[in-house]
Amino acid sequence: MDTTFAQRRRRDLIVAFCLAVVAALVPLFVKDVYVQNIMVLTLMYAALSQSWNILSGYCGQISLGHALYFGLGAYATALLFTKFGVLPWFGMLAGGVISAVIAMVLGYPFFRLRGHYFVIATIVIAEIGLLLIQNWDWAGAALGITIPMRGDSWLKFQFARSKLPYFYFALALACVAWFVTWWLEDSKWGYWWRAVKDNPDAAESLGVVVFNSKMGAAAVSAFLVAVGGGFYAQFVSYIDPESVMGFQFSLLMALPAVVGGIGTLWGPMLGAVILIPLTELTRSFIGGSGRGVDLIVYGSLIVAISLARPQGLVGLFASRKEAAR
Amino acid sequence: MTITRRNVLLGASAAAALAPIVARAQTAEVVIGVLYPFSGASAQMGVDAQKAYEAALDVINTKYDFDLPLAKDAGLPGLGGAKIRLVYADHQGDPQKGRAEAERLITQEKVCAIVGTYQSAVAVTVSQTCERYQIPFVSADNSSPSLHTRGLKFFFRAAPHDEMFSKGMFDFYDVMKKKGTKIETLALFHEDTIFGTDSANAQTKLANERGYKIVADIKYRANSPSLSAEVQQLKAANADVLMPSSYTTDGILLIKTMGELGYKPNAIVAQAAGFSEKALYDAVGDKLEGVITRGSFSLDLAAKRPMVGKINAMFKEKSGKDLNDNTSREFMALIVMADAINRAKSTDGEKIRDALAATDIPGEQTIMPWKRVKFDEMGQNNDADPVLLQYVGGKFVTISPAQAAVAEAIWPMK
Amino acid sequence: MTAEAIIQSLASGLLMGLLYGLIAVGLALIFGLMDVVNFAHGEFLMIAMYATFFLFAFFAIDPLLAAPLVAAALFVFGAVVYLLIVRFAVRAKANAGMVQIFSTFGLAIVMRGLAQFFFTPDYRSVTHSWLGGKTISVAGIYLPEPQLVGALVSIAAFVALYFFINRTDFGRALEATREDAGAVALVGIDKNRVFALGWGLGAALVGLAGAIMASFFYIYPDVGASFALIAYVTVALGGFGSVFGAFAGGIIVGLVEATTALILPPSLKSVGIYAVYLLVVFIRPRGLFGSM
Repeated sequence: MDTTFAQRRRRDLIVAFCLAVVAALVPLFVKDVYVQNIMVLTLMYAALSQSWNILSGYCGQISLGHALYFGLGAYATALLFTKFGVLPWFGMLAGGVISAVIAMVLGYPFFRLRGHYFVIATIVIAEIGLLLIQNWDWAGAALGITIPMRGDSWLKFQFARSKLPYFYFALALACVAWFVTWWLEDSKWGYWWRAVKDNPDAAESLGVVVFNSKMGAAAVSAFLVAVGGGFYAQFVSYIDPESVMGFQFSLLMALPAVVGGIGTLWGPMLGAVILIPLTELTRSFIGGSGRGVDLIVYGSLIVAISLARPQGLVGLFASRKEAAR
Repeated sequence: MTITRRNVLLGASAAAALAPIVARAQTAEVVIGVLYPFSGASAQMGVDAQKAYEAALDVINTKYDFDLPLAKDAGLPGLGGAKIRLVYADHQGDPQKGRAEAERLITQEKVCAIVGTYQSAVAVTVSQTCERYQIPFVSADNSSPSLHTRGLKFFFRAAPHDEMFSKGMFDFYDVMKKKGTKIETLALFHEDTIFGTDSANAQTKLANERGYKIVADIKYRANSPSLSAEVQQLKAANADVLMPSSYTTDGILLIKTMGELGYKPNAIVAQAAGFSEKALYDAVGDKLEGVITRGSFSLDLAAKRPMVGKINAMFKEKSGKDLNDNTSREFMALIVMADAINRAKSTDGEKIRDALAATDIPGEQTIMPWKRVKFDEMGQNNDADPVLLQYVGGKFVTISPAQAAVAEAIWPMK
Repeated sequence: MTAEAIIQSLASGLLMGLLYGLIAVGLALIFGLMDVVNFAHGEFLMIAMYATFFLFAFFAIDPLLAAPLVAAALFVFGAVVYLLIVRFAVRAKANAGMVQIFSTFGLAIVMRGLAQFFFTPDYRSVTHSWLGGKTISVAGIYLPEPQLVGALVSIAAFVALYFFINRTDFGRALEATREDAGAVALVGIDKNRVFALGWGLGAALVGLAGAIMASFFYIYPDVGASFALIAYVTVALGGFGSVFGAFAGGIIVGLVEATTALILPPSLKSVGIYAVYLLVVFIRPRGLFGSM
């Protein structure tokens, strides 16, 4: 068992490396900016969902409030740059650290909550964050923040037309999120989480250490999501509270993992690759009707997948080996 | 390769004489992108806008005897009679999606210009994107004053912005005051969005400048389940004028809640939005007798300019509604854009931009009560005079400014 | 601020709170029965409001008369949703919690899309009704009739529900199924039937709320979103599964919302509700009256 586990992990790493290399080469052949834009979003949501998956999938603490960290990252990056001239690279880092600290402060009372009490607490805290920013005049309130565009620059991480720098950043973020997950799977924390998931009573005996590991998961998850938020602010170069901290972001982060497979290493990636192009294409090509057809297609798909494949689509790829085992 | 070179040679040698033929052959149609919310909470706005653009498209692409630019010809004479084709895209009210759709329209659909967007937040990113691709953007119905002050070269707005609209209101107060009406205190009621914030900021500034006292400044959350606490505070303040900046949903709830809590202000002067939508008057019209709203458009113009009535009838046939504040601006945006493309004699972004900058359409050749359409260096048309409309007996009558008014204001409202 | 303004705010808050309770109680009931939170609850409300509107628009039926019809229609709708979707969601062997959240959430998106498709995104209102626009004034305090009747219906519904659960065979079957679904199968109760009826009942209650709200609220495909989060917070505040908790939770939410708007800018009034929820669950992680 242990050897197969080790083998699987080595194989995962090789596959991931190959996929990353292939992904990095794709823009050399795909020049269309609209398609490139979809690829950037796909990678970004893959990274976000992978980060979300650490807390909600592996730890089993379902958060529907990660928009809070996404928004904090976006606002930290945009505010530090426009108000103090801090380069976005440091802004993203600062946003990540702030978010990680807030996640731990919140984790202390939140992790005592079970099931839906926890879920609703996460929704509510993100809503509070949204309302506060929306009423915070210094941070632009509802007007949002425009990041001034002064020509292409790596230092300021802004590019007028080219999507490639954003693409490679998003790819790097997705790789980091994947690697952190991969690494956590085989860590002490990973073992505890699995033990707790399999047997809730074990949680009692492990008590404090599990609690601490959850705090760690919340911090890592929040940090990565906030970096994603900072990236988004640079990518769109305009943010307003509703468009970076709205409830929809919490869902958009969760959905790829749900579709692909929660608590799995590959689920969020697979889910993002399916879901994001689908949502973009349905909106672009059937959303213009004003009849809500895109919503019907999208919603039906979520219902169908969650009912037909509760373990996520990732199982489809592994099923042959499972059967063999 | 050879074909291209031959075309270039042909173009160079044949010069001006052949140019119209070449143009006709090359641009049988001119593609313009139209970006609106077609799903989500504001989807109805996109649906209505689509009807307005279809009406404008009809006027441009077929012959009509209207004194509007391009109405008398079929298509664009400057481009050999090329027809305009519109490509609609859905931004769902999300700035990121607006940007992505603008990019798709420019790079895939090869649009030569974009109009939109209803939500101001989306106009921010769409106009930035257009700037990056050097494609002109005409803001049809965004009223946020911050949009045109960002130093964008390709941004144009023929319609007034919130400061101009609010100025129209305060001009009206000044006139009423001179006539002896008591207007001293104001109550602002605005949603917590860009629209609400910009509107309230403009109104606060004007009130301070002109010596009106703001006794209540209520910012509320858009689409709240209840507005009783807010209305309670408005009632307690009991200002001479209530000035709401609200969309349809909150407008309906505001008026209903005011009725339920027994609050009847002397006058309501609204920053259009919901207060120019038919749905609001269908819902609570009986309580709105005498309400005043700013507008860019007035059907009263039809008496002076018969084409306004005819165009309204065209629109009504498509949508079942009269032209209103939004749909009239949308209609005009496409006319202004098409006029510029026609004069540019090209679908090149830079040339259309220069043509837009040189736009000079006299007010009589629009369906609006504007003096003219002429853009300043920031792309804003400062000659777009707003009007104030009062809802009397189930329809709107123009009451201000004097040159457009057809009736005296009824004050206080019933 | 005058005493009158404070009393008015509290009165309005109380009336609204009773309605929140009525909107939310269906959620509490279903959760109590089978530990499932319906994330399409707001859309159930939306459908109920549309049903009321169309009964009014096409047959001139007053919302008050329509209420039982709408409740009956929603009963059927709720049962069907259980049989077609939720029944399979709760069977999921993997990620059960996640599956039921996202299957009902997906349903919510589909319902919004369908509403937009069939009813258009335009804003509708019931323009004339017996109660609409009428208001009672007592010593300077205004009590709008639609909300007043809504509050009375809410109280009546809670009383009826109490007796129903405690005094009828079906109610006892609900209780028994909730306590031990495996054991009831042995005594010949069809678990699926009880669950379907439970979903029907939960949906009927939100149907009742929707019919009443239609007489004073606007209607459009996204209208449920404004109420959904309040409904979840109401139920969680009172304690999931506790019908009385939903009642108390509704009143608390209504009053907190009204008082917050007196103290803070009204755009922040929901912050008060959310803060109280967090405070309550930090002290009592199962809500005020939660049992499990």
